[in-house]
Amino acid sequence: MAKPAVILVGADKGGVGKTTVARALLDYFIAHNIRTRAFDTESPKGTLKRFHPDLTEVVDMHSTADQMKIFDTLPHTDAQVTVIDIRAGLLSTTLKSLRDIGFLEAAKKSQLTFTVFHILGPSIASLGEIDETAAFMDDAHYILVKNFINNTSFFEWDPATYNSYFNKIKDAHDITIPKLNEMACEQVEVASVPYVSFVANKAGDGEPGNYSFVLRGYVRHWLGNVWAEFDRVKLIDMVAPEVQRKGAARQA
Amino acid sequence: MQRRTPIFIVTSSRPHVGRTLIARALTEYFCAQNRPVAAFDVNPDEFKLIDHLPAYTAAASLNDTRGEMALFDQLVLEDAVPKVVDLSHQLVDRFFQVMQQIDFATEVRRRAIAPMVLFVADPDERSRRGYAMLKERFPDLALVPVLNEHVQRVGAYRANFPPTRLGGGPISIPALSPVVRSVVDRRNFSFVGYVQKTNDRTSELYEWMGRVFISFRELEVRLLLGEITPQLRHSA
Repeated sequence: MAKPAVILVGADKGGVGKTTVARALLDYFIAHNIRTRAFDTESPKGTLKRFHPDLTEVVDMHSTADQMKIFDTLPHTDAQVTVIDIRAGLLSTTLKSLRDIGFLEAAKKSQLTFTVFHILGPSIASLGEIDETAAFMDDAHYILVKNFINNTSFFEWDPATYNSYFNKIKDAHDITIPKLNEMACEQVEVASVPYVSFVANKAGDGEPGNYSFVLRGYVRHWLGNVWAEFDRVKLIDMVAPEVQRKGAARQA
Repeated sequence: MQRRTPIFIVTSSRPHVGRTLIARALTEYFCAQNRPVAAFDVNPDEFKLIDHLPAYTAAASLNDTRGEMALFDQLVLEDAVPKVVDLSHQLVDRFFQVMQQIDFATEVRRRAIAPMVLFVADPDERSRRGYAMLKERFPDLALVPVLNEHVQRVGAYRANFPPTRLGGGPISIPALSPVVRSVVDRRNFSFVGYVQKTNDRTSELYEWMGRVFISFRELEVRLLLGEITPQLRHSA
């Protein structure tokens, strides 16, 4: 049995496009035939669930019962990857409780792989969060995400300041999510479907959609760039090395 | 067999090379055969094609996403209606940039659509560079140089516009004398209307149309050959 992989997607501020990254990740794993489940902590309504209803369960991270639902099932689930979209502001809290329940210890003993996607906000304060989060990251893959999806967010910090934070953490990766055309972004929201379905012109129920070719083209181009970033940090290697090896064998 | 839907993008890197005249003649070439046609006037400030052929032409802008949708969502329709795009030299870069960003080439391959770019040549260095850029960036695009003899000394610069793999060599458009040109440029002038009225098959304009329409016919044959060549190879 492959080692289960847990991916947290979080930010210490809202509105930095956290769910965007979670959605792109789910699309990416599905496209690579990796069995994936997701938890949406935007209880009670859920945001991620709107786009990936089949894979996603809405949970309340403060509830012990819901924590059990996620972590106690890890050895039994047939999903290789568990993606958890952490509600804004709860990243540090969640990491603390993961430590308390011995989850980080399990990652240390290599019983599971643990990856955190930390979405950076535009303020300098956001960089301070890196320090705070990094304290928990000794046995995890730490991926910093600069999200430019809606270019409206203006980054206060300059590359030098950023690097001074980034270089403090060993084994951290950083990836950049490029800008997506506003109208395309909006239309995918309205359609409430995975990015891949939008590109393939499919509605939520699997029926043919009626999306603009231009907007689909913009999303296809953007998603290709995002996935290239995931490829660059060898994400599949991190979460599902067996799959990667199988893929390599096929190619050989 | 269902033929592919052609898109003719008429463009240039320089103004006053007869681009709109060629787009008009091409649109009317389809009208003359009672074939459907849809033309798009992509100019930043001054629409000319739509003035001449309002019944067939839509004005299109590339100022915002809405404008891009209005144009490209029409261009990818597999409706067997030939499309003619009069693309201003000021918007060439933007047009091909959008085309690349939305991955137009992939969609076109997936559907039965055959785009062809008619690049109206000019001796200017900018034209040479513009053509070379298109040739390099879009190797899968049928790119055809158009030598309009109305442009001074254009023939001497033929080497600036080498043939392309899918488009072939240049086609020539004969020059019109200034008097005829001024008639043709009148807003309500129509090539088809002229042919219906005239009996004189030796007139300058009649001969000009004959030559130009034969060139257009050849472009259609090139597209058809591009379509069937892989099948012929396959069956051989």
